[in-house]
Amino acid sequence: MATDPAAAPSPETAHFIGVRHHSPACARLVARAIAALRPAYVLVEGPADMNGRLDELLLEHRLPVAVFSHYRDETRVATSWAPLCDYSPEWIALRDGRAAGAQVRFIDLPAWHPAFTERAEGAANRYADAEARYAEATARLCERFSVDSVDALWDGLFEVADDPDGLQERLDTYFDLVRGDAEADAGDRAREEYMASWVRAAVARSGGRPVLVVTGGFHRPALRALAAVGGTQWPEVPEPPEGALGGSFLVPYSFRQLDAFGGYQSGMPSPGYYQRLWESGAEAAAGELTRAVAERLRGRGIAVSTAALVAARSLAQGLALMRGHPYEARVDVLDGLAGALITDDLDRPLPWTTRGTLHAGTHPVVAEMVAACTGTAEGALHPDTPLPPLVHDVAERLARLGLDGAEGPVRLDLTEPRGLERSRVLHRLRVLGVPGFTRVSGPADSADPVFTERWEPSPKAGREAALIEAGAYGARLEEAASVLLAERAHTAGTDAGPLAGLLFDAVLCGVGPLSADLLDTLADRVGRVRELGPLGEVLATALGLWRHDRVFGVARGPVLGAVVAGAVRRALWLAEGLHGSGGGVDLGRLRALAAVRDALRYAPEAVPITREAAAEAAARIAGDPLAPQDLRGAACGLGWALGGAADPAATVRALAPDALGDWLAGLFAVAREEVGRGDGTLVDVLDDIVAAMTEDTFHAGLPALRQAFAFFPPREREAVAAHLLERRGRAGSARALLRTTADPLRLARAKALEAAVTDLLTRHGLRTPCRDEHAMGPRTSRPDEHTTGPRTPHPNEHTTGPRTAR
Amino acid sequence: MTVTEESTEPLLQRPPAEVRYADELAALRAADDGPRPPGWQMGLRAALRFVVGDEQAGISRKFVGNVSLVERALVTLATNRGLMLVGEPGTAKSLLSELIAAAVSGDSALTVQGGAATTEDQIKYSWNYALLVSEGPSPRSLVPAPMLRGMAEGRIVRFEEITRCPLEVQDCLLSLLSDRVIAIPELDGPEGMVFARQGFNVIATANTRDRGVNEMSAALKRRFNFETVFPIPDFDTELALVEAEATALLKQSGVTAPPRRDVLEVLVGTFRELRGAAERGERMSTVMSTAEAVSVAHAVGVRGWFLRGEPGTAADVVASLAGTAAKDSPEDLARLRRFLEQEVPRRKGGQWRALHDARHLLAD
Repeated sequence: MATDPAAAPSPETAHFIGVRHHSPACARLVARAIAALRPAYVLVEGPADMNGRLDELLLEHRLPVAVFSHYRDETRVATSWAPLCDYSPEWIALRDGRAAGAQVRFIDLPAWHPAFTERAEGAANRYADAEARYAEATARLCERFSVDSVDALWDGLFEVADDPDGLQERLDTYFDLVRGDAEADAGDRAREEYMASWVRAAVARSGGRPVLVVTGGFHRPALRALAAVGGTQWPEVPEPPEGALGGSFLVPYSFRQLDAFGGYQSGMPSPGYYQRLWESGAEAAAGELTRAVAERLRGRGIAVSTAALVAARSLAQGLALMRGHPYEARVDVLDGLAGALITDDLDRPLPWTTRGTLHAGTHPVVAEMVAACTGTAEGALHPDTPLPPLVHDVAERLARLGLDGAEGPVRLDLTEPRGLERSRVLHRLRVLGVPGFTRVSGPADSADPVFTERWEPSPKAGREAALIEAGAYGARLEEAASVLLAERAHTAGTDAGPLAGLLFDAVLCGVGPLSADLLDTLADRVGRVRELGPLGEVLATALGLWRHDRVFGVARGPVLGAVVAGAVRRALWLAEGLHGSGGGVDLGRLRALAAVRDALRYAPEAVPITREAAAEAAARIAGDPLAPQDLRGAACGLGWALGGAADPAATVRALAPDALGDWLAGLFAVAREEVGRGDGTLVDVLDDIVAAMTEDTFHAGLPALRQAFAFFPPREREAVAAHLLERRGRAGSARALLRTTADPLRLARAKALEAAVTDLLTRHGLRTPCRDEHAMGPRTSRPDEHTTGPRTPHPNEHTTGPRTAR
Repeated sequence: MTVTEESTEPLLQRPPAEVRYADELAALRAADDGPRPPGWQMGLRAALRFVVGDEQAGISRKFVGNVSLVERALVTLATNRGLMLVGEPGTAKSLLSELIAAAVSGDSALTVQGGAATTEDQIKYSWNYALLVSEGPSPRSLVPAPMLRGMAEGRIVRFEEITRCPLEVQDCLLSLLSDRVIAIPELDGPEGMVFARQGFNVIATANTRDRGVNEMSAALKRRFNFETVFPIPDFDTELALVEAEATALLKQSGVTAPPRRDVLEVLVGTFRELRGAAERGERMSTVMSTAEAVSVAHAVGVRGWFLRGEPGTAADVVASLAGTAAKDSPEDLARLRRFLEQEVPRRKGGQWRALHDARHLLAD
């Protein structure tokens, strides 16, 4: 800083290295450049508001760690991460630059700056390598080089290339091509302008010694141009606007979080592999990867023969040769292993040919291969590092809510604001896996009418470590919890049970404004559930909370609205596709259709389907001869309830007697109220049908019929009975008609048994007319006995007749 | 899956790949200076370019799919393992094996077509019985089948639909693939053993719909490297392919109006959606391959042109789908109907609307 700040900038002293953010090859290039140039300044793309705390960053951490930045004002919440691992060029620039005596600086705008908001959706990775805006250019390059993915292209061109001297030139050519095509947006331009002002200021003060600038390769061409002209004052670090909260902190990170396969487009895949590449070179990394995959597979009991490994190795070497790699690259090894070890057809293309998450049901061999690439490293901060903001946030909240020194159990009344707030804090800690409190009682699911919770203090060992780790998810407790829940949603399968659990956790935690990701993911997952019954339960509980919740503050909220919408759509889709002739009643699917009815009736603003469209779908299901009878009945009821042109009486007339009970169960499950409100035509038709039944048919169908009418509460059943009495011109109490003293099913069974015995006797000629007359004597009276007295038919009774007869 | 018009062989409906692309093969062989595995007609990179195309060198793209899949396939063939291509019907497995055989051996005709009636005779060798009776067993009376010829001449042998062969017939490949020799016990002397020359290998194909590879013996499985061929992952690529193929087919059928792109978009979109439903556990029993999409597009164009003198519309798509895509399964028809009823209305765009409006054309 000895030179005159006003001296003309001499851009020749500035050396620009454009890097890919998680690239061992770029990291080596940076290290070599620092060793060769001995620069006065090393300027690194990264949040300038961290500059005051670079000492903290350069403590002896165990990598990976991340610079975590958060921002919150009245309209916007944003968080971003800048992950650093051993092979990050930025990390090497900071560490080696400092060691070489250079002044090191972050030179990019703070993460909260509006320049980032155009792309950052809630939570973003500053060091993203696979952004959509480069996609077109990189796709063309991939086609030209005949590779499947940009990661494979990059590895072949740079990571395993055996030519350190030409690396910089190739990098520059590559990024010029990428930049030449992609449109830099206003945010990029603002950032580049800002970074260039740092470069100019550093050049002006370097005394002619080199200035090394390490930024994403995308920015390099623009930076070179911008650094040549302009003022040379040190730029100011922007402060968050009045009333806004923002800052950057160090948090421990992990390879799992870094891996693109883990859910974020912006990671770099396979950090475990690249760590090895960085430590011991491409050849060793390839060998190690093969060994790790074989070990993992054998550990899981999947046979991996030596012959298969030999084949994998020769395949990998052949591929490397063919692709012009001096050593086997990551995809060569993976391709070799896949070719030799998988002897099945796959459901999906191999995951390393594209980017994105692993799907549920990935071939186990493939899943192990990906896991072996990911590695298990977890970062840890040096003990002297200031704690991440989450730790303070939690401490402050616990103190404010009187939960910090709790020795005994805590009872919370969820209907009180303070009780709810305390409950949410504890649930968020629970979701984040922070020990300290255990819930011993409280609502088990969203239908549980329990409004108190009891929490007991539990051992606090590992609490601070857990909090620091959770600090990587957010600066504030509710943000961290919702980011973690979203991550869980990303990895959730399509089983309704875990989804319902996740949803209820989201409700208990009271997820806040960062929940867009969680919301979309939950709705998407619900839209993929495969079973109608469980889906119906999710829908019913979500709808219940959406309509009635007074406790958790989620009524008419977006989270549940999205789930309701997704579930209704999916339920109709599944119902229309449900085929199968198996008789019987599946209450789950009937409840699902009832839930669809309620959603359309009470939450039309949340459901993207019109009543008409739903009624049409219901009509199609009701008329589908392949659909189960109970579902057809329920669909008929749904159409009726939605005001469609359903005519249940006509349908009932056309039903086969053995289908009647199941069909009615469906109808009554969904359209009970419509039946009650109706003019009784349906009951009349039913009465006619039942009256016309033969004894056998009636016996066979009785259990199902009874099950169907069980959907009516006693009062409505009484109304039906009264209607029947009136129709038959009988006087009497409808209630008495319903109150049989013995179980009618047992009566029916007794009757059937008697009939069978009589048959048997007749068949064996033991039932002569006179004896029959004799035997018939007491029998005729029996039905009355049963209906009036508590006597249950005992097998012995039946045998007494024949015995005396004999 | 690319249609080319070769006027040199007007008599053949579909000449083999080495004839269709003779010029490209010759150019690639001439320009190829890369290392060449023994017995191969060109190096691996040249073979790769032949299959996936190289615009600058004037090599057409013949196989649309993962490049790395083709790379793995070629490297496998250069090792001592066979190559097994598995996948849904209509994913261009046979085309891929034909192209690779043409590139590697200059000959794609050494083909065994697997089926329930395939016997060992058709794989290894049989006899000319008249000569056998009159002369006894001799090289003259021997009738070599593709496998024997491939071994003797050092060429790639294609084995189509291998899983449709009886298991015991499949297993006759075991010794052949590991020892690389066929014994002809009837012949004496050195002629009784035919050793494989360099360049011999096997490309088998199996589709996952009929009898899957699960029934294959483990011993045979481990003599192959498996490659799953997937439907085209990218919408635009598939659309472009369907458009090109359908246009060519329509021209052959005497239809001069090219298919409408917006109609093809909904057609391809429908195919992709129904194909993707398999991931959600709702697999169509009908194959929803690109090849099927091409044939529906063809049918649509033919309907539109010969019935009304215009390119086909979304209504023609519905009518053709009923016959082509939902061939004989009421379940598939129901699924298609459900898609038209519930999913299509959610899509934006004029032709999706037209498709929805025409749903009644899906006859029962």
